[in-house]
Order: sequence, then structure tokens, then C-alpha cells
Amino acid sequence: MQAEIKGGSAFSYVEIDLEPGESVITESDAMSSMDARLELKAILNGGFWRALLRKFLGGETFFVSRFSNQTDSKARLTIVQPTPGEVKCEELNGGSLFLQPGAFLACEETVSLGLQWAGLVSWIAGEGLFRLVVSGQGKVWYGAYGALLTREIDGEFIVDSGHLVAYDPTIKLRLQLAAGLFSSFFGGEGLVTRVQGKGRVVIQTRSIGGLTSWVNPKLY
Amino acid sequence: MTALFNIRMHHSLDAAQISEAAVHFAKLFKIEPEKAEQLLHKAPVVIRKGASEEMAGKIGTALQKLGITISLEPVADAAATAAAPAPVAAPEATPEAEQSAGHAVNDGGTVVSPPDHPGYPFRIEGRPDFSFLTVMVPGEQMLKVEASAMATMDTNVEMKTKMRGGLSRLLTGESIFINEFHARGGAGEVGVAPGAPGDMGHVYLDGNVIYLQNSAFVACGPKVEIETKWQGLTKGFFSGESLFLIRAVGQGDLWFNTYGAMIEIDVDGEYVVDTGNIVAFTEGLEYKVSKVGGYKSLFFSGEGFVCRFSGKGKVWIQTRGVQALLTWVHPFRPVKKRG
Amino acid sequence: MDITLLHRPGNTAARLTLAAGETCTAEAGAMIAMSGNMDIETTTHQKGKGGLLKAMKRMLGGESLFLNHFTPKDGEGDLILGTTLAGDMMTFNLDNESLIVQGGSFLCCEHGIDVDMGWQGFKSIVSGESIFWLNLKGKGQVVLSSFGAIYPVEVDGEYIVDTGHIVAFNETLDFTITKAGSSWLHSFLGGEGLVCKFRGKGTVWCQSHNPVSFGWALSSGLKARKA
Repeated sequence: MQAEIKGGSAFSYVEIDLEPGESVITESDAMSSMDARLELKAILNGGFWRALLRKFLGGETFFVSRFSNQTDSKARLTIVQPTPGEVKCEELNGGSLFLQPGAFLACEETVSLGLQWAGLVSWIAGEGLFRLVVSGQGKVWYGAYGALLTREIDGEFIVDSGHLVAYDPTIKLRLQLAAGLFSSFFGGEGLVTRVQGKGRVVIQTRSIGGLTSWVNPKLY
Repeated sequence: MTALFNIRMHHSLDAAQISEAAVHFAKLFKIEPEKAEQLLHKAPVVIRKGASEEMAGKIGTALQKLGITISLEPVADAAATAAAPAPVAAPEATPEAEQSAGHAVNDGGTVVSPPDHPGYPFRIEGRPDFSFLTVMVPGEQMLKVEASAMATMDTNVEMKTKMRGGLSRLLTGESIFINEFHARGGAGEVGVAPGAPGDMGHVYLDGNVIYLQNSAFVACGPKVEIETKWQGLTKGFFSGESLFLIRAVGQGDLWFNTYGAMIEIDVDGEYVVDTGNIVAFTEGLEYKVSKVGGYKSLFFSGEGFVCRFSGKGKVWIQTRGVQALLTWVHPFRPVKKRG
Repeated sequence: MDITLLHRPGNTAARLTLAAGETCTAEAGAMIAMSGNMDIETTTHQKGKGGLLKAMKRMLGGESLFLNHFTPKDGEGDLILGTTLAGDMMTFNLDNESLIVQGGSFLCCEHGIDVDMGWQGFKSIVSGESIFWLNLKGKGQVVLSSFGAIYPVEVDGEYIVDTGHIVAFNETLDFTITKAGSSWLHSFLGGEGLVCKFRGKGTVWCQSHNPVSFGWALSSGLKARKA
């Protein structure tokens, strides 16, 4: 499999060339164009109950798509996330990565998608009771609205809710008010996430929530 | 701070060699081969701005194989232009290099404040489509930020919410609050992500005045005053965005954002700008709001009213307008339930 | 007409320099800025053709657009055009050929090009996406815009493009609206629904992102509207 992320940070899309016999798992409705010979199958990832959990508690869709090349020559698939923004590729080597709801775009078949209890803190922050954990071997593509910035954390750092995209398993999250009660409410920041530990945090430079709250006062 | 460089390429290839090199060059920088060829023909030209020494090394090695050499120019010069005090800093130090290099430069266009910058140290990443501002607030100093725009901060930064700009803000539909971020017991970092997708401009005010479109304010130093200014009924009523402008005056940093990319226009004589595409303009320019053509055009051209600037000065415009977006999102809005 | 595309690929704007007497035809509402000497005329069709009433009727059918014609008075003129959504642009040189363009992707063209709004090729589809199509014919330069990046696909055989991702294609291509893969069920469960299958030899220009998907991603956060 050969894959390349194109379109820059504003409009990342992924071109995947599948060799005969290869397949790739993508988020539902991710296909932008493809070789007509590719086979598409909608599958429940990890069985019915896990899929159900993923949908209602993990903020992901019920089905994922499996594109496979059953021909005898290379075939291209182009995939994209529903919003503009950056996509990154992570090569898992037995390790794992936590993804926020909606951040998953695609992965190789050797990668497993799991759900992990994220706790009430995450739920209060509007991020769901469970979080997606990708582990195993192979490539994972994930992304979000906005450009993605990676920050190495060693100690503590504060990230506004809605800007966290992915983080290493060594990172712990805690929820807190942005400031005192008055400021947190009127200052528009509300709850923020305090990330603790040593590892990487990937943040998005824009959020859909930020965009809608910029648009909303202008709508009549 | 690590040293950053602009990378300029040089070569002595003939036309045939250029077309051959262009294929590899295009792959290397992920641009179209035709574009690579154009770029190679333009050499010596800056191909990447604000690159680290390590990155420059990698690019240098890769290009050497194609028979292209590079020279490094410390970025302080470029960034100094970007932060020049008079009057608003254009985010692009060399616009023509940016256009010709397309993707290559766009993706690496981080703006970093030079070491001798009189205000707070800062950098702007994610340019030009999803610009993200990171300001290092010195110990016991303060940064004013538009409400809801903070995205990240250090744990020693304390946020306070203040009322802003008097009651006229209430009429503008924007937040009437502004957040102050105080760094306690040492310097602290604040990351700012405005709601609108677009570029970000910076200017160091030294007593001069800049007018900003109403929702363009992002952040400023403690000694910069942000006033909401009534444009006057006829000007304001038709000028799309809002009845108000922001007048920024004082001493210190001012950051503002655009919706879309930013284009700088030198006005000498007359220039017409769609009312929804104005970002900022210098004091001294006269403007009036008028219709764009005949009455048929007024209703059907989709342009409606425009701003006619006259005099001598600079206007910054954005490549996208909010009104068009508002019309576009309409069908996607949830429908209000009756009763 | 001299065309420079600024700030590609994210929030591209087209800067056009018109020589004296040259006319540029642009989609209504696309003008961002222009020099003070520019004359603008609004029509519903090619300059000098077509009636207002006919266009109104078409507009009600959701498949028409108003066109602005820009001509500089005395001397050269400068014109900057943009689009509603973020994205890339491309220039295309038509040489007495015909190009099918998705209505929202048309930005502007030289005066010599015929903008035909009556193209009915996709009329039969119920895709739920209110797209209309233009057939650009003639000789001259055209600027097209997209939501996201534009990538060309050279079709030689069969290729599938999701309906929301088409910018333009050669008239030489044949197409059908169908399913992705071999099963209707999986195409729908996989969220792809109806897609466009191109056949033959030619180029399809695709936009990396689907505006409708983006719209629905925003939907729940937007202020409610009255009915």
C-alpha cells in the first residue's frame, strides 16, 4: 500500500494506492473518488455491540467502510474528512494512540479500533464517555477541522475543550474551569482540559464550535 | 529561540535540465510539475520561509542531487518587515515568492517575531488558512484576547474577564467581554484560535491608529485601546459586516484576523472594495459607500453596495466574505420548533 | 486577460488584469475588489442575449445564475474575484471545445466563451444535492473554483467520483449515477449513497472536499432558523 497526504494543512486528502489483495478501513462516507473496480463493504467494526457503543458513546459512526482491491493491478482510492483541515498519519508499532471523537479517518487492516472508558470528566466536557484507542501495527490516518499542531508536554498544559485531537497514552486529562465562575461563564471559555504527563498532544487550530459561534451572532 | 532561515535556491541548469529537475522538485515539495518548472525558471528565488537549520539541511541535500544549490538568509529580516511599525504589517514579506511557490511556501509560512521585537514574543502557525497565534506573555504582564478565542495556555496563566468597549458592543452581536491573561511567577504561553478560518496580521502600534472591521480583533498588549466606533448611519447601514468599526490606538502589539487569505492593496486614487471584504485600512483614507452599478446591478449582481476608497494609503482585504457564507449555511440550519 | 491566482490552495482569489476594451464575465457576487475605473453590467446570460424574465424562471428552478460583466473604462483595469467557500482555483484554456462544469464551480471567463446554462445531462438524477451544470464552449480562458484542493483524474476505463466532489469534466466522458462497489446495500451503509461513474477517455477534475458534508458537520451548532 502506498499512501500520500496531499492538499496542505487546509484541505488534506489522502491518496491510497491499493495493491492486489490489499484493503483499507475508512470512516463512513470518506470516499471522494476511486477506481471503479474497488469493492466497498460496510462493516461493523468489532461486532454489533462494540459498533453500537462506538456510535452512541464514542461519537463515531455505526459502520466503517472496507475498500478492497480484488483485481490483479493497482487501484487508487481518494479519501477525505467531512470538514476542511489537516490529516496526519501515524505509524503504530505495537503502541497505541487516543483519538477524540470524530478524529478517525482511516487505518490499515492490522490496526485495531477500540473503545476505552474516558470517564465522566470527558463526558462533561462534551467529548463523550468513551474515547477511541487505536493500537496494533500499521498506519492510522486521523484529522480535524483546522491545522494540527503537535506539542510535546512534560508537566502540565491547558487546552480548551474542543481543540484536543489526539494524545499519547501517557497523557492524563483533567477538567477544570478556565478561571473563576464569572470569568469562565462570561469569558466564553467555560471548561478547559488540563493535560498532565510526558508525551505528545495534538491540537487543532480551529474548532467547529468556534466557527459556529463566530457565524451565529451574524445570523438573524 | 532556534534560528530560522529563508531558503533561496540557485542553479545554472538549461531549459531541458530544468524540465527534468522540475519533476523531482515537484515531488519533493508536493507541487504541480508545471509550477515547479515556473519556479525553477525564476531562480534565484526564495522557496521556503522560516525553515529551521535542520530542515534547511534536508532540503539542501535533496536539491543538491538535482544540481540545485541553496543559500540561507536569516529570517530576522523577513520577520522584521512583517513586524514593521508603520502602519500595519503585511503577513507576507515577499508576496511574489509566495504566489509562485504555491503550496511549498504556504505550508511553511510560520511568522516568528524577531529577537529585537519591541512587544511580546509570538509566532503564527497554520497560516494562511487556519492561523494560530502563540504569545509568550512575560512574567507579571498581561495580554488581552477576544472572548472564547483562547485554545491553549500554560498552567501559570490566570484568566480574568472584563467588560469591553461600553454598551455599543451589545448592539454589534459580538461578545461584550474581553479576557485578560496574566502570567504569574514567570513567563507563560497563551495560544489563540479565532473562530473564523483565515490568516492573521500583526502590527506594532506606536501611537498610530488602525481601523479594523468589527469582528477582526484577536488580541493586543495591555497598552492598546480597542474602541468600538460608530461608522455613521449611511456608511454603517450598508457596509455589510456591521454598523461599527474598531479603532485601535496606543502602544504595543495588535493581532487581527481575516476570513480567508489577506491581500494588501496600495490605494492611490480610487479603489473599490466589496463591503464584506474589508479587513483594515490606514487612517487618512476617505471612503464612501455606494452602489456598484445601475439599479439592475444593485439587486442582481450579488454585489449590492461597495466601499469606494479614495486618497493615498493601504487597505487590507480578505479573500472571502461573511455574507456569502451566511447565505450558504442557511439550508443547514436546524429549524426552530413552533410554540 | 491576465490571470494570477493568489493564496492557493486554501482561500484562493483570482486577480485579473483587463486591458482596455476587454470584458470578463464572472459569477454574481464574486467581486472582492476592483480598480475605480471598472464598469459593471449585470445580465442573466451571455452579454447581449437572454431576457430577465426567462432567467427569473430558471432561477426559481434553482438552476440559474446572474452574470456580471466587467469592462474597464479608459485604460487597464484590475479586478479581484473570490468565492463563497474556502478552496482552490484553476485556470483552463478552452480551445474550441466544450467543458461541463458544476454550477457552483464557475468563477469567470473571457468574453469569447459561451456559458450555456441549459445542459441537462444530469437532469434525471435525484441526488438530493441541488447542483446545476454549465456547458462552457468556445475559445478563451476560464477560471474554476472548488471546495478544497482540485485534483485531476485521467479516466481510461471506469472511475467513480462521489457526486459532491465533481468540479468539471470533458464532454467526451460518459457517465451514470450508480452505487460504489458491487452492492447497493453496502454503498448506502458505507455512507456513500449515489456516486457518479465515468466511462471512456477524458479528464474529471475533482474537489477534495464535499461542501454538503461540511454543511452537515456545522448543522447542529448553528442557530435555528424559522421554518
